[in-house]
Amino acid sequence: MAASSMKDIKLRIKSVSSTMQITKAMELVASSKLRRAKARAEATRPYFTTLHATLTDIAYGNTDFSSPFVQRREVKKSCYIMVAGDRGMAGGYNANLFKAVTAHMGEKSVCVLPIGKKAVEYCRHHGLELVTDAYAVAEDVSLGDCFSIARMLCEQFRKGSFDELYVGYTNFVSMLTQQPAVLKMLPIRYERAEAKNTAESLTLYEPSTESVYDAIVPEYVGGLLWGAMAESVASEQGARRTAMDAASKNAGEMIEDLSLKYNRARQGAITQEITEIVAGAEA
Amino acid sequence: MSTFHLQIVTPDGGFYDGEAEKLIVRTINGNVCILPRHAPYVTALGTGEACTVIDGQRRRAACAGGMLAVTKENVRLVATTFEWAEDIDANRAQRAKERAEAALQRATEKAEIDRAQAKLKRALTRLSVTR
Repeated sequence: MAASSMKDIKLRIKSVSSTMQITKAMELVASSKLRRAKARAEATRPYFTTLHATLTDIAYGNTDFSSPFVQRREVKKSCYIMVAGDRGMAGGYNANLFKAVTAHMGEKSVCVLPIGKKAVEYCRHHGLELVTDAYAVAEDVSLGDCFSIARMLCEQFRKGSFDELYVGYTNFVSMLTQQPAVLKMLPIRYERAEAKNTAESLTLYEPSTESVYDAIVPEYVGGLLWGAMAESVASEQGARRTAMDAASKNAGEMIEDLSLKYNRARQGAITQEITEIVAGAEA
Repeated sequence: MSTFHLQIVTPDGGFYDGEAEKLIVRTINGNVCILPRHAPYVTALGTGEACTVIDGQRRRAACAGGMLAVTKENVRLVATTFEWAEDIDANRAQRAKERAEAALQRATEKAEIDRAQAKLKRALTRLSVTR
């Protein structure tokens, strides 16, 4: 009995240590990818914040609502862009995002543009209406893709396919913390203070407010999406690194525990053998 | 000489944040020049050459897409692409131009033609800025 349990434990140790090799390797890959993704997210941040601040300023001072992008309309349908990962093994990264977006959707009638394999799978599984599933691989989405997505969505928004546009992504707070968030993109509308600021409303728009908005808004949506993508990709790698680090640690603990058990079993087997020999000699 | 606060940002990162004396950019309606104490002004950018005067030094750049927002406090140039003349690889731009021309020859659909034309315009701007 002792021999077979020793063999079992040995096999178990072997399998745990090979799993640990994999998790270690994944952690290293995630760390190096994280460094690049973090640099990209940090490089994009000034653009992201300036873009948002500029549009907020413009919309705040705006008194002309001829452009459909700033008009308030009855919300019959909302569109969500869902930025998730391509692979699992990233702790709660994907699940947290889905939870946040689903909670935000509530009972509304929605359509979704998933980015990332996991997002596509989730939407299919839950039978959500898809705008397109052409962007299934989150890592391959380029700046040009972001702008084409933005142009397409703005076109559909104009046609009235949906009345609101949100993006669900994950904020890269730090190496250890990632926060899922939902950001409203369209229509651009900010609740204004009661007192009208006359200086602001003197802003010149050339050639006209409407054409300026028509040109700017797709850029704005594309830029925000690019920023959200950069944040999400960095978050995914961060989450994966943390998860894999924890997994490697657990595997290490398990191996330690199992080695102890193995040594005990070995000791037990030796003791038993000696006892048997001694008993045989005495007989 | 009086100056204004100029911020230039692109998706690849911040480009410039500081005082400038003059800014010339191509908007969708043609070139505009921004000088200090300009009235609040918003417009969208086209593809073309941009030029800044900082400390009396003229600096040229290729700029495509985005927006220009002038407020009382500062001037923000939020561009899709923005490259200083010295950072442009002329050979690469030349190759891009040839590719765009070939694509324009082949293109049949309107969307394809538009895309090829936009590419050609960007390549030509880059080339003209490096000269």
